[in-house]
Amino acid sequence: MTTATVPATPAPGLPPSGPGRAAPDRRGSWVPNGAMIATRFMELRRRRGLMAALIVVNIGIPVVFLTFRLVSHAVDPRSYGPAGGYEIFSTMVAGVLFVFGFIVAATLGCTAGSVDLTEGMFRHLVVTGRSRLALYLARIPAGLAVIVPLVAVGFAIVCTVCVVAAPTQLSFQGVNVPVGLSQPAFESWAAGHADEVVCSFNFDLGPNTGPDSTLMQAVNSVCGDGGGPAAVTGGPGTPAATSVSQAQIEDAARQLAQINYSDYSGRFLTPPLPLMLKAGLWLELYAAVGFLVGLGLSSLMGQRTVPVILLIVLEIVLTPLLSHAPIAHLLNVQRSLIGIAVIHLEPGGLPSVFGGGNGGGPQVAEVTESTTFAVCVISAWVVVWTALGAWRMVTRDA
Amino acid sequence: MSTATIDDVGTDRAGDSPWAVETHGLTKRFKDNVAVNGVELLVPRGCAFGYLGPNGAGKTTLIRVLLGLTHADAGTMSLLGYPVPHHRDRALARIGAIVDEPRFHGHLTGRQNLQILAAAREPAARARIGPSLERVGMTQRADDKVSKYSMGMRQRLGVAACLLGDPQLLILDEPMNGLDPGGMLEMREMVTSLVAEGRTVVLSSHLLDEVERTCDAVAIVDRGQVIRQGPIADLLADSAFELQIDCATPERARSLLAGTPWGAGIAVAPDGLRVALAAGTDRGVVAEVNRLLVEGGIPVYRLQEVHASLESWFLEVTTRLGANG
Repeated sequence: MTTATVPATPAPGLPPSGPGRAAPDRRGSWVPNGAMIATRFMELRRRRGLMAALIVVNIGIPVVFLTFRLVSHAVDPRSYGPAGGYEIFSTMVAGVLFVFGFIVAATLGCTAGSVDLTEGMFRHLVVTGRSRLALYLARIPAGLAVIVPLVAVGFAIVCTVCVVAAPTQLSFQGVNVPVGLSQPAFESWAAGHADEVVCSFNFDLGPNTGPDSTLMQAVNSVCGDGGGPAAVTGGPGTPAATSVSQAQIEDAARQLAQINYSDYSGRFLTPPLPLMLKAGLWLELYAAVGFLVGLGLSSLMGQRTVPVILLIVLEIVLTPLLSHAPIAHLLNVQRSLIGIAVIHLEPGGLPSVFGGGNGGGPQVAEVTESTTFAVCVISAWVVVWTALGAWRMVTRDA
Repeated sequence: MSTATIDDVGTDRAGDSPWAVETHGLTKRFKDNVAVNGVELLVPRGCAFGYLGPNGAGKTTLIRVLLGLTHADAGTMSLLGYPVPHHRDRALARIGAIVDEPRFHGHLTGRQNLQILAAAREPAARARIGPSLERVGMTQRADDKVSKYSMGMRQRLGVAACLLGDPQLLILDEPMNGLDPGGMLEMREMVTSLVAEGRTVVLSSHLLDEVERTCDAVAIVDRGQVIRQGPIADLLADSAFELQIDCATPERARSLLAGTPWGAGIAVAPDGLRVALAAGTDRGVVAEVNRLLVEGGIPVYRLQEVHASLESWFLEVTTRLGANG
């Protein structure tokens, strides 16, 4: 039997191996190197179908919607409102980018977590001797480097259009109102537009205010029977219109302005910069969580399709369903859903998502939980799924 | 978790073993099926070593166990002198392997796939991408997508991937699969050249003819066990062989030799007389046959020993075991 022990010499043209070269080889380390991350990023970025889907959902949907509104407003400004503004911004962020951002990020995570297995590269990678944990962890920065800029671009487009194409006047409860007034200025403006304010602004007088109050008399006097604001909840019965002086009407308008100031002060022509920054970070947080959960789940299951379906069902069926009302025996389950936890971190000034949220919108969270608890839930989702995915990656037969 | 650098692979005393692969009692079970059954394997360094066995014999499973793609249930093993799995990263740093059909990311080019693999190896591996592609003759197609590659091209790319680590040991599972005759010849030449550089190449294959042409030594595996191993010449020397005799009157020659101890194995063939001789028969028998024929007045034009081919020997060995089992 041949027992030659000739040390291997480099093949013709191949740089030699062995000691004496500069860069150390730490392939036993669990820390991925920059080249691994860069090549994983390249592998994801060159998936044309996946990238097209990510771009269509993250950027295409907002672009199509805003373009339609821009064109419609340009063609018929009386029928179609401006394409931008605070209202459009908050609707796009809470209604579109939040939900779809999670779904596409989860899809990307599921792809990153399973393709090496399904396409037969996992074996090649394991045979390099590189730590399997490092192979797994390299996917995290690579995937985030794909999804974070995409979400940012989609969000930036929404912000840009909402600022550039914002309405020139604020329509508050059907009345065109100047923007950014202080409370005294708002009350003063209301006195100057007393008839409009009295007939349009909402108010809640409470049970102790009788129907013969000055305010009610002013409303009935100016707006007549059946007129007046949409939400008159004064005392029982509506007295017949009586003669009210102009001073009393102006006083009533000031009173209504005072009642509605907190609502008014949260309305803007354009989304404020702090709100845009917070909303952007909030969307990025949810997208990052979606990616990490998808990565862990697909690594655990060793495939892409089922994890993608599970996460879509979670996002567009279970989370909306369980966020609408607290269920006594399932309250902790509801609180532990990732979507509901992230909704509790929604920046103030955005309408609620799925009917939850503690933002500045009209609705409050139905399933209550503290911010600390929400942060713990989010951290747990990220840590647990990452750990499960990494564990399966390390123990799986290749 | 180990974070030690492994630049000293070439000089570490643990890597000084004369064996490229050494296993003792290696066992791998899949529930009730014992795929690798107490395998004792010694692969010397610097040779081409064939690992042969019928389908389902456990060839690929053994390779997967060696490479850490799946765990062993019992036994010990070392690669290039490094005990694995304890020093798996050190061992694999100098090993290249193709297991089963070589598959890559189809949406990437061959070069990009190698970039991914080189990134997982030592930094110097990135500089070997071009030379590796050139060596397997893939430079022209390196920037085409792998999805457009033929099976043979993927095999070549697999070999290029093996070369990224400048390996001392290459483990190639069915490397001839999908190759046309020209490709098989190139692969054979490549294996020969790799061995000439001092590397060890372990070939798992069912193409016995190719193994016989390429390898210096073989191991025969059947039902998870290594039943024979050693240099091909030594193994075949222990097998039965045949003496072909080209003479003037074959029938008369047969009659003349019928009374000899080896007379039972004589047959007349169109090209002359054939005498079957048992394994271990002394070569003096050839001279004795010649003497008898000449003294009997039969002109002898040619006498030739014909040893069994690896294929016929393999079939003989595995069939006998099958019959015994």
